[in-house]
Amino acid sequence: MRTWIRLHAMALRDAAGRLLGQPFAAGFSILVLAMVLALPVLAAVALRSAAAVASRVDTDPHVNVFLALDASEEDARRVGQALKAQPAVSSVRFVPRAEAFEELRKTTHLGELLASLDRNPLPDAYTVRVASADPAALAALRDAWSKLPKVDRVAADGDWAARLAAWIRFARTLTAAGGAFLALAVAFMVAHLIRLQVATRRDEVEVSRLVGATAADVRRPFLWFGLLEGALAGALAAAFVALAGAWLQAQMQVLAPSYGIELQAFSLAIREAAVVAAVAAALGWAGARIAVQRELKSVSAGR
Amino acid sequence: MIRFSAVSKRYPGGYEALRGVTLEIGDGEMVAVTGHSGAGKSTLLKLAAGLERASNGSVVVNGQNLGALGETALAILRRRIGFVFQDHKLLFDRNAFENVALPLRIAGFPAAEAARRVRAALDKVGLLAREKTRPVALSGGEQQRLCIARAIVNRPSLLVADEPTGNLDADYARSILDLFISFHQVGVTVLLSTHDEAALERLACRRVALASGVLAP
Repeated sequence: MRTWIRLHAMALRDAAGRLLGQPFAAGFSILVLAMVLALPVLAAVALRSAAAVASRVDTDPHVNVFLALDASEEDARRVGQALKAQPAVSSVRFVPRAEAFEELRKTTHLGELLASLDRNPLPDAYTVRVASADPAALAALRDAWSKLPKVDRVAADGDWAARLAAWIRFARTLTAAGGAFLALAVAFMVAHLIRLQVATRRDEVEVSRLVGATAADVRRPFLWFGLLEGALAGALAAAFVALAGAWLQAQMQVLAPSYGIELQAFSLAIREAAVVAAVAAALGWAGARIAVQRELKSVSAGR
Repeated sequence: MIRFSAVSKRYPGGYEALRGVTLEIGDGEMVAVTGHSGAGKSTLLKLAAGLERASNGSVVVNGQNLGALGETALAILRRRIGFVFQDHKLLFDRNAFENVALPLRIAGFPAAEAARRVRAALDKVGLLAREKTRPVALSGGEQQRLCIARAIVNRPSLLVADEPTGNLDADYARSILDLFISFHQVGVTVLLSTHDEAALERLACRRVALASGVLAP
């Protein structure tokens, strides 16, 4: 056990020494790896932020049914009964035109303009909540309601939120697929770097084998090298994401209030950064393992 | 210590370096393998040290049948055998100390213990003062000594040397041979190859002659 720890400590020191021994080459490859890793992480963070926004928006589908301006109280009552008759409808609220006018005057800056009007331009309306979120069912209801007498227009306000949620689901799938793809790319890039390393250390590998190194002994420093390179690239990627997040957040801060949305923190927690670094380290290790396995075969075949 | 039973070695491509070699070398014995170049001397030594595997027949070293060992077990067995390579196989990007320390590093020796053993081995071959020197700055004879120091640093019970006096002048060759005689005197089994008559006279040990891969009677 002591020997095992010592062997790993020596391999780690060897790997670290090799990284520090060629700071430019090592730094450059770590930078490239970090940029590749940062892409999916940044996408995931942006999506999380967008998903948080979408979940706070009321996605409970509701439909506004606007009556014609010349609709009488009797007409309104008949439409209301028709709406309530639908089993899919969970609630129906009548918004009289006077109330709508008052609300518009209070919540917007249109007071002066509204005061200059000689009559209320708003129609009576119903706000209908629908229990089902199924878009097809919703569309069928809208269609049926727009054909009711004295109904002018049917508008579903929740549509954009539902569409946003669908887009976020799609983007998540895309990010997962892209992330897996880029993770593979990182492993193969590390494999390539390690392959070059093995090539330059071929003499050492060969002599080590001759004086009693096992395959594991030969692999060890390369695996540590891949692991270190991956971990450093992962940490750097997390830093990139934090920087990009801070910059994007500043941009979004301008955009968000116009949608009445408050943005969630657009960044990585320390623990998440650690996870990114750990995953990257594992990828580096795997890449090194692939490369060394292949190269070792060619060394022992030459013996 | 070493037992070859009807050993043959055929290399990829069909070249047969050894044919039906049967040979026994006792514990603490010193044996010189002679023969022209291409007679199979190097192959025989590599088989004895577990650096190569026999195509046919069995090679038993220290009671272990090398053919039955896996790659890892064979590698670990090599740590107990010192091998002096004809072409030295030194690492030119490290100094003498680091070259000799390599087998101990691989075996995971504690640094202080390793340093003590490395210095003892370098002292034995007369290179203690040059531990910081890289192999390029050493003469051919010094490189040979460095290779010997690396072979003995693990304190092996079997020392195998392939043409250890190959390209050395007579004086230097004699001092190298005396080193092997001294290892033999302290109980190490020594197996070496040479085609040099003067060397054989100095060693005054059992000889085994190879010709075209076959042992001469």
